[in-house]
Amino acid sequence: MDTGTKISAVAHVSLISWALFGGTFRSEPLPMSVQDVSVITAEQFAALQAQQLAPEVPVTPAALQQPDAPEDETNTPEPTEQDQPESETVETPAEPEVESEPKTLELPPEPELVEEPPTLTEPEPETAVLPLPPGPSSQPAPSDKIAPDPIAPPPPDARPDDIETPPVSQEEGAETQQEQQEQTAPEEAAPEIVTEAEETQESAPATSPRPRVRPNRPAPEPEVAEAPEPEAQEPQTQEPEAAAPSAIEDALAQALGEGTEPSGPPLTSGEKDAMRLAVSRCWNVGSLSTDALNVVVVVGFSLTRGGKVVGGSLRMIDSSGGSAGAAKQAYEAARRAILRCGAKGYTLPADKYDQWQDIEITFNPERMRIK
Amino acid sequence: MMRLLTVLLMGLTLVSAPVHAQNGPLRLELDEGIIEPLPFAVPRFVPDGPSASQYATDISRVVAADLTGTGLFREISSDAFISQVNSFDAPVQFADWKAINAEALVTGAVNLSGNRLTVRFRVWDVFSGQELGNGLQFAGTTEGWRRMAHKVADQVYSRVTGEGGYFDSRVAFVSESGPKDQRRKRLAIMDYDGANVQYLTDSASIVLAPRFSPSGDRLLYTSYETGQPRIYVLDVARVRRQELNTLDGTMSFSPRFSPDGRSIVYSLTQGGNTDLWKMDIASGQSVRLTNTPAIETAPSYAPDGIQIVFESDRSGTPQLYIMPANGGEATRISFGQGRYGTPVWSPRGDLIAFTKQNKGRFHIGVMRVDGSEERLLTASFLDEGPTWSPNGRVIMFTRETQGASGRSTLYSVDISGRNLKPVRTPDGGSDPSWGPLQN
Repeated sequence: MDTGTKISAVAHVSLISWALFGGTFRSEPLPMSVQDVSVITAEQFAALQAQQLAPEVPVTPAALQQPDAPEDETNTPEPTEQDQPESETVETPAEPEVESEPKTLELPPEPELVEEPPTLTEPEPETAVLPLPPGPSSQPAPSDKIAPDPIAPPPPDARPDDIETPPVSQEEGAETQQEQQEQTAPEEAAPEIVTEAEETQESAPATSPRPRVRPNRPAPEPEVAEAPEPEAQEPQTQEPEAAAPSAIEDALAQALGEGTEPSGPPLTSGEKDAMRLAVSRCWNVGSLSTDALNVVVVVGFSLTRGGKVVGGSLRMIDSSGGSAGAAKQAYEAARRAILRCGAKGYTLPADKYDQWQDIEITFNPERMRIK
Repeated sequence: MMRLLTVLLMGLTLVSAPVHAQNGPLRLELDEGIIEPLPFAVPRFVPDGPSASQYATDISRVVAADLTGTGLFREISSDAFISQVNSFDAPVQFADWKAINAEALVTGAVNLSGNRLTVRFRVWDVFSGQELGNGLQFAGTTEGWRRMAHKVADQVYSRVTGEGGYFDSRVAFVSESGPKDQRRKRLAIMDYDGANVQYLTDSASIVLAPRFSPSGDRLLYTSYETGQPRIYVLDVARVRRQELNTLDGTMSFSPRFSPDGRSIVYSLTQGGNTDLWKMDIASGQSVRLTNTPAIETAPSYAPDGIQIVFESDRSGTPQLYIMPANGGEATRISFGQGRYGTPVWSPRGDLIAFTKQNKGRFHIGVMRVDGSEERLLTASFLDEGPTWSPNGRVIMFTRETQGASGRSTLYSVDISGRNLKPVRTPDGGSDPSWGPLQN
């Protein structure tokens, strides 16, 4: 046996021995949970069993106690004599004597209006929540208020108001004392009326909601757009030559800037939109008749420099699409809108007062009609 | 020289024009506003003495409830009032009402003299400080205090919305009591808001479908007293009834008055075929209006009496048709999915209310008289039998719940689909018929 074979044999024997006894292939014990079990005697086991036995059930059940017969709420009393058609004793409501000629009452003296508007911050732009992406959950929920832009439900503690204000409470130890302020938030509003039939539709809506109005972008306007309106110029062009000197005087005065009234550039589209939005937030057509909702009214009014409506300046300039009565209701709703939202004064650029001193607004309810 | 000066000045004017103030007013156009209930306040009417105090409270509460119940008005709680109205003739402190955002204000006074009650009231547009209409006064006996309150509310509603009110009106309906398989039905009449229920028949026989006459003094209804459905007319004030003379061996049902109250249109089943007939009430003479093998029923006159809308299955499924009031060619107006029935013409003449069954659900809906602009207002297990308020703004109908314990209840809904709500009645109710405004 040569040396190589010996070395090989020793090495193999060593390897096999190590493999067999060295623990290479010894498996690790499987994980096992251990629970201690105590040994109990037969008596203890019987005692435990006895505790868990159900109570004995008597062979013959006890007689059931009948509940007291409840009064049959659905039973109606037997028809009395009064109910019989033949009795002729059914009382009809006493007819109030409504005076055929309604007596018109005298109007009490006009009250003195002392308006001291509460000092409130400027109304912030309406915080409208963007509509949810299309899908079953995007169906508008029924709401008491329908507005062009949906408004999320206000916080539970918030008082309904057109203006959103965060709650401010007085904190002790605060360095600067803040006036306590009640939290207010605009009322919840949906963009359109949702009937029960629409609300309970299981599948996708058959009709898509009315698209929202694209906000007017304040685009740079060509200067000619704000040039004096042709209507205003017409009288000048129709002036006979004999009136030329007075026209010249007028033109001269105008050119030289007669008076000290501040005049400035025309209102921008953004400023006009802000004014339009301010009025539209109070233009409530919810209580108008369907006839009045067909009427387009043009209402004119004047504003003070503080943005308040000049008393007595409101007037209906024009109306179309309905009877005089319907136009009156439409005008009154428009008047309420202008007065209510302008109670604290409209926010308009003071340097352009000449531009907005007199305003004419066309109220067109076409999009607000019941459809 | 003068001409040269003129030209120069004109040129100067033109140059300066673009930077100068505009001459006309600022013109804006609004096409979007809001739709929400109009906030109003009804301070307690001023009583002229302690005896009138309770009436003053009750009347002002009924006025407020009437207006709030329309869904078009929202009452501002008296807790929010800054000032009270203690004198009917004192000037109104508009600033106090503006501060709480009341857009309309109703002030009133109640006078009691013996059994005679007098109610005066005024309606104010708070923000303009103007009175809407003139002050008005109603007088009556104390028993009629609710009617006087309804009349005040009708005036307020009318002055603010521009359309007639509907509060001083009554509703005839079938009062239902007992379980579904033993239901007892009685003809009943009540105020529009469920008050003052009075029963006109006993529950000995089944009664169906009461229908008010245009003047509200009579009721048509169908009774199974003889085993077969027959039509009766009932004098509401005297509770006296009379069976209308229809052909022997026939079944007659689904009657409705013509707008002049002199004739009725109804369904008559003879030999298994149901057609529409018209009867002159005074003479009892009937004339056939339709003659088809299909079932024609549920006729309803247009307010002008020229046309009739009715239900017919001549196309295979029940659909709505319109034809001349004296018979003639009928035009189908309903083309949507499902079955249409019980059409009722609006008192304004512009809409037709109907019941629709589609995909296992019932709806109350409205459409134009040409069938366009169909809108479904409700959806439930079973809605049927619409009837119009006198001003054509509200629809009342029957809603029945599912199951053996199902119950019939009267509901009302605005034609916009808003303000869906039950009408309170002592028992269950079905088949409402809304009467006209009372005189």
